[in-house]
Amino acid sequence: METVFISRFELLLDALAQEMEVYAPRCGAESSTFVRYDPKAPDGVAFNPARLCTPAKEFLFPLRERAAAFPHPLEPEAARPFAVMGLKDCDLKALRILDCVFLEDDEFRDPFYAARREAMFIVSSDCTEPTDSCCCVLFGGQVFPESGFDLNLSRIRDGYLVQPGSPKGAMFLSRYLDRFAGVPSAALTERQHERQKTTEQIERLNAAYRLDRKVDEIVQAGQDVPLFDEMAAECVECQACTRICPTCHCFYLFDTLDTDIFARMKMWDSCVRRDFARVAGGANPRQILGDRTRHRLLHKFVYFLERHGLYMCVGCGRCIDACAGGLDLRELLTQLNRERVSKGQG
Amino acid sequence: MIANPYQPLNATIIEVIDESPTIKSFVIEPEQPFTFDTGQFIELTLPGRGEAPFTPSSSPALTERMEVTIMKAGHVTGLLHECNPGQAVGIRGPLGHGYPVDAFVGKEVYIIGGGVGLAPIRSLLLTLIDRIGEFHRVVCRFGARTPEDFIYKPALFGPWQKINGLEITCTVDQANGQWSGPVGVVTEIVKPDDVDVNEAVAVVCGPPVMMKYVTLRLVEHGFAPERIYLSMEKNMSCGIGKCGHCMIGRYYACKDGPVFTFAQIRKYPNIWD
Repeated sequence: METVFISRFELLLDALAQEMEVYAPRCGAESSTFVRYDPKAPDGVAFNPARLCTPAKEFLFPLRERAAAFPHPLEPEAARPFAVMGLKDCDLKALRILDCVFLEDDEFRDPFYAARREAMFIVSSDCTEPTDSCCCVLFGGQVFPESGFDLNLSRIRDGYLVQPGSPKGAMFLSRYLDRFAGVPSAALTERQHERQKTTEQIERLNAAYRLDRKVDEIVQAGQDVPLFDEMAAECVECQACTRICPTCHCFYLFDTLDTDIFARMKMWDSCVRRDFARVAGGANPRQILGDRTRHRLLHKFVYFLERHGLYMCVGCGRCIDACAGGLDLRELLTQLNRERVSKGQG
Repeated sequence: MIANPYQPLNATIIEVIDESPTIKSFVIEPEQPFTFDTGQFIELTLPGRGEAPFTPSSSPALTERMEVTIMKAGHVTGLLHECNPGQAVGIRGPLGHGYPVDAFVGKEVYIIGGGVGLAPIRSLLLTLIDRIGEFHRVVCRFGARTPEDFIYKPALFGPWQKINGLEITCTVDQANGQWSGPVGVVTEIVKPDDVDVNEAVAVVCGPPVMMKYVTLRLVEHGFAPERIYLSMEKNMSCGIGKCGHCMIGRYYACKDGPVFTFAQIRKYPNIWD
């Protein structure tokens, strides 16, 4: 199955909705998120020019879920098929990172994540208008996906190109051939041109933040500088950065008692929280906030790279938008880079 | 491994042993036989209340029941101390990596422990005692606050003292009338000539501050960091290297540890806190 053309976004949405639950982008003036698509009440669902405010991790790793029960064990069940539309290249790379943790672990798979991942149909799209905080290009990302999707949409003047990226995606397209047309002449050239234009736009946005060394080297070399402690002075410990991050995946297990059965809940947690690493005896290796901000970046750019060969950051910029203290990852890295150069380590 | 790694195996507490004023041992019978390597840990669930990580203190040779020695320290341990025989519990595991006992063969094994840190050490000792002829010598230096605070007193001051190839010295911070042994913190009975520092392996387990100073002392005596094995107490929650609570630098204490060599973790910040 090759790339096809559709004139309207809704044609694809409706085809998807015939087979499964569909979550599609809705962009408002202040924020944007995924909403459940109802063909009878489309409710502002439309193509999103950039990544949404909320990450896609919730579809696979919900804020709170039941992970075990007693006395009767909880058996993981298969999830119902669902589609998520509007993911960008950064979102797909974030899923890749979560897969490393929950799916591709050599010993332990998370059965709940695995079931949802299996059931998820991914429709991604090219970015057409990056947000002010988009910085994927600093971390090896780009404005259009090349893998990790079932279908990818590229907006062109009169409609959209739909490219299959998996057997599941190709099979889907083959079931709805009547809705799609062949690729108009020059459409591929137009897509190429659009991608180039958006790439130049995001490069311009990030020109001031270009780093002259690899991020892991900068963070590794900078771990002893007081910058992290200065950063901590601005941090209000709201944990928004970790909640909104599409790759942050720390969680805690919390047991609740409900008459004679108990449920073990798996809930999002945050390494920014003061008692995150505290043990029962009282010891706490990261009691100081500066140590926690330092650990967070070391985990993202050094430790995760060592374990999985990837940065645990995709440059989506959500943490920059969400930070109540006005902290900006790009500025922090640029500053760390400068300190390193000024210390003569360049 | 069961398909759901967060789901505990049902088990029952069948005996509770008072070890010291703040420490109890619990004999636990799992619903089905349970195997582990010495030094690996389990997550013990008190249904509806929570779970906490413990290294079994019994011999891995026993699979029908296991012992877990618990100091009253926090929420879950406090509730566990209230439990009586018959209490339903859950266990997850075995988790992580324990002591590489085969790598100790032919060597002097130098074991330094303090307080409730003797729990994992007891499991190791029972393993070593079963194969005592395979090791050059097993030399132990144990400390407790007072003589009453030692756990496993019947074995420690009884049969273990009479085993050929096993030498145990105990010290207390504060003596009482009957105590005839050394008085002082355990670091004071860690001497350069206790073992051949160029060949021996060291195993350290105890409260963080004790582990820190013992490790530094061993390094001072010439022990290679690669031959110092530390049983690290961190906030292991999921136990399977995902939830992030127990990270020591790039390592998950739960999955890559809890036994690490000092060489593996010494470059990371705040390992002793």
